[in-house]
Amino acid sequence: MNRNLYKYILVGLCLVALFSCKHGEGEYHGVTERIEAESKNYHGTPISSEKYLEGLETIEISEDGHTFLIPDRKGQIKSYACTECHSKPLAQMQSKDLKKAHWDIKLNHANSNTMNCVTCHNPDNMDELKSLTGNTIDFNNSYNLCSQCHTKQFEDWKGGAHGKRIGGWAPPRASMTCVNCHNPHKPHFESRWPARFNTEKVKERE
Amino acid sequence: MRRLKVFKSLVKDSLDTITHGSRRYHIWMAVLTFVMLVGMYCYAIQLDQGLSVTGMTDRVSWGLYISNFTFLVGVAAAAVMLVMPTYVLKDIDFKQAVLIGEGLAVSALIMCLAFVVADMGGPSVLWHMLPGIGVFNFPNSMLTWDVLVLNGYLFLNITIPFYILFRHYQGKESKSSVYVPGAILSVFWAVAIHLVTAFLYQGLQARPFWNNALLGPRFLASAFAAGPALIILVLAIIRNCTEFKIQDKTIKKIAMVVTVAAQINLIMLVSELFKEFYAPTHHSESAYYLFFGLHGKDALLPWIWTAIPLNVLATVLLTFHKLRNNFKVLFFCCFILFIAIWIEKGFGLIVPGFIPGPYGKIAEYLPTKIEVGVTLGIWALGAFVFTILAKTAIGIELGKLRYKKK
Amino acid sequence: MSSNGKKWFSLNLGAKPKTSGGSCSCGKNSGGCGGNGSHSHESKEPQLTEEEFAAAAINASIGEERTKDGFDQVFDVKMDRRSAFKKLTASLLIGAGAVSTSCSVISGEDSKEKAQIDWEEQFKGNYKLMNDEEKKATVDRLVRSYQLRTGKNISMSSKNAEEDVLFGYAFNISKCQGYMDCVNACVEENNQDRNSQMQYIRIHEMKDGKGFNFDEADDNYYHEVPAEGHFYMGTQCFHCDNPPCVEVCPVQATWREDDGLVVVDYDWCVGCRYCMAACPYDGRRFNWSKPEVPEAEVNKNQHYLGNRMRKKGVMEKCTFCVQRSRAGKNPACVEACPTGARIFGNLLDPESTIRWVLENKKVFRLKEDLGTEPKFWYFMD
Repeated sequence: MNRNLYKYILVGLCLVALFSCKHGEGEYHGVTERIEAESKNYHGTPISSEKYLEGLETIEISEDGHTFLIPDRKGQIKSYACTECHSKPLAQMQSKDLKKAHWDIKLNHANSNTMNCVTCHNPDNMDELKSLTGNTIDFNNSYNLCSQCHTKQFEDWKGGAHGKRIGGWAPPRASMTCVNCHNPHKPHFESRWPARFNTEKVKERE
Repeated sequence: MRRLKVFKSLVKDSLDTITHGSRRYHIWMAVLTFVMLVGMYCYAIQLDQGLSVTGMTDRVSWGLYISNFTFLVGVAAAAVMLVMPTYVLKDIDFKQAVLIGEGLAVSALIMCLAFVVADMGGPSVLWHMLPGIGVFNFPNSMLTWDVLVLNGYLFLNITIPFYILFRHYQGKESKSSVYVPGAILSVFWAVAIHLVTAFLYQGLQARPFWNNALLGPRFLASAFAAGPALIILVLAIIRNCTEFKIQDKTIKKIAMVVTVAAQINLIMLVSELFKEFYAPTHHSESAYYLFFGLHGKDALLPWIWTAIPLNVLATVLLTFHKLRNNFKVLFFCCFILFIAIWIEKGFGLIVPGFIPGPYGKIAEYLPTKIEVGVTLGIWALGAFVFTILAKTAIGIELGKLRYKKK
Repeated sequence: MSSNGKKWFSLNLGAKPKTSGGSCSCGKNSGGCGGNGSHSHESKEPQLTEEEFAAAAINASIGEERTKDGFDQVFDVKMDRRSAFKKLTASLLIGAGAVSTSCSVISGEDSKEKAQIDWEEQFKGNYKLMNDEEKKATVDRLVRSYQLRTGKNISMSSKNAEEDVLFGYAFNISKCQGYMDCVNACVEENNQDRNSQMQYIRIHEMKDGKGFNFDEADDNYYHEVPAEGHFYMGTQCFHCDNPPCVEVCPVQATWREDDGLVVVDYDWCVGCRYCMAACPYDGRRFNWSKPEVPEAEVNKNQHYLGNRMRKKGVMEKCTFCVQRSRAGKNPACVEACPTGARIFGNLLDPESTIRWVLENKKVFRLKEDLGTEPKFWYFMD
């Protein structure tokens, strides 16, 4: 009788062991593999972030196989076009007793050996920017100006590793352009106080 | 139909027994009831305001309740140390002790379940955990395993002694063919409840302090030291307070069990300490915190440095036959061993698992008064249940309680 | 039938203690439901009988294929057993109070409806196992309940995971300046408890030259940032692909959705905190007391699995702002970050920016050796 009992117990234990084997889950070895496998037949999603871009003037750019939207710049600059005021050559405007306009701009971008106003602005054509070699660059495409030096950041920006998305994650992609975050005359981020302080955490760790 | 009548009479008789007793007995029960009421009051506060009335935080999210739960699972499992020789190996010495042991297991399990419920954030939705009407995440979650084995063990430990007592109550001998299979099963089961409880912690890769292979075996060793130690103490009290005869031989045999388990436990402790401190890694920080404190935080030091010397002292004393056979020394050893393991397996195991946190942050844990109140209440509940069970069982075993045909 | 929430609710004005599951979740028999719906304007007493009549008719016509939610989904338990269980536990769990309010003719209509909703909410099933109609029903109940309690309207979504979407997140360590704007945005978006100052995101201020040394990092700094000689690293729930928290939950109250989000059904959670112990990333938070958010600050754009109001004693965590991300928006932290250190997107879309980051930057994850497969990567310029 005892022998039978042991048999039952043994069978029972085996069943429990069998039943407790984890199943499923292990389809992929890791998430990278899963991404690779599942994105092979990616058909796109119905989710779109288009409605979050409403009311925002954008222009489409295509660089290096990356096509996306950036905010329109010219519409954002106060009193564009510049030639509305800059009707005369700069030298004349400086000497005359005109109302001061850009007097508070202090250039804090690289050092004065590397950059001054005319590195980017064309004194002869205020409505356009100019490249180092003297070609004109549209204000809307100012990233072309920045990318002359900041090549690494430009690469990252095109891919999406640098800069910030507008709207949402879903296509169409709209990204901020350089000057949306960086003031071109003073491109670094200011230091400031953190947005909040957690007093409960202090208590908890006393 | 007849059985039902006998059962009714048994309930009546046992109610009669447990409501009558010496003055000491009444005081004892009154004190327990009072502590239970205090515990219930504390629990009511906790229910009303949430677990924020406890000392637990997002950092240390399990505390006194789960510590006690872990320890008591061990106590419950220890009943098997008496069951095995009595029922299976037919060692007659343990026969009287075994009913007491099983009663202890039942009350320990009730305490376990009470501690788990006390620790829940939403006790009103606990039905979500019931297999059948809720969703039972079996076999993935070790907690579901624990629910199964604990309740199964509770069932076994209620039915076997009940059967025996029920037969004795009618003046018949219990049939071994009925209870021996159950007893054998409960032997396996006892090991299972403690291993499963260890796996509950051992399976968490997030907590390196628990995630070591020795945790399960160490749980067993310490349980088989602390549980029988408690049984010895209880037997000593019963011997003094009732006419229930428990032979010296029985206690000495249990003492032997305690000694061996305590020795094994000590060896494992040494092995653990060696691993943590000979070649300390990032994962040894919890052990550092426990034994030496970390970054000036040292709330657990008094606890663990009470536990370790007590543990060593008790084990050493028990190792010498001469000392062990002296009952005064034995009871003292059992008492300090019990305390030592309660600290080690409770506070010393659960709390440092959370300290330092996943990102090295240290928030210390100290139970609040309400938490302590609930805990004491549950211990009182356990003692209360045990007293009732033991009093009835002793009454039947002594032949005072017998079914009378009308 | 369930497209009109208002209509559905007017059905439940009847003060019957028995669940109206029969009328709400019988997706298969539109006839019965339509019949019920037409009674919605009638007075209470007749409605009750009509309703019962309709239920009886449905029973007779489709037999056992009756309502299915909660327990039934799981184990296909018959209605009888379920309602029997409900009746049994009623007095235990809700207390006689709720029953009497839901039965009493004297008490106000609103409180009756409230009790009715509470009742159904108490005994509803696990959201993970609900079908779309049941999800809709519980969401409608919660919206109505909020309206009854505060007089304010919220919108709550039960939008499911979209196909071909797997959310992923990348964090640029060189860009983060430690401003904690993300933390602010997260707390406001997700209605986290203000009293305990619960925060899903932690920003760790680390010393240059010490590597990623979390032990010495400070995640509760308050001084001008970025501090000299320090860099910043944010952590939150990493939405592991192999989440240990999901594994250990005894009641499957937390799970990984098809789009990769690890979510919690706050109403199903029993509060055992096992998941918290199992999480190696400090990603989970517990409501130790009743979470409170000033009425004016409540974000009313909610999702059942996301930022809806929680109760005390349940787990919660970052959901990558499921109410936003499933609608195509970025999580609040991503949108709030002024430095563009946070990148979010669809890992399955080969054209997405997150994929470009993963393929072109040197990315790594925290505690990769644990095999949890987080979907949260770190990289540097």
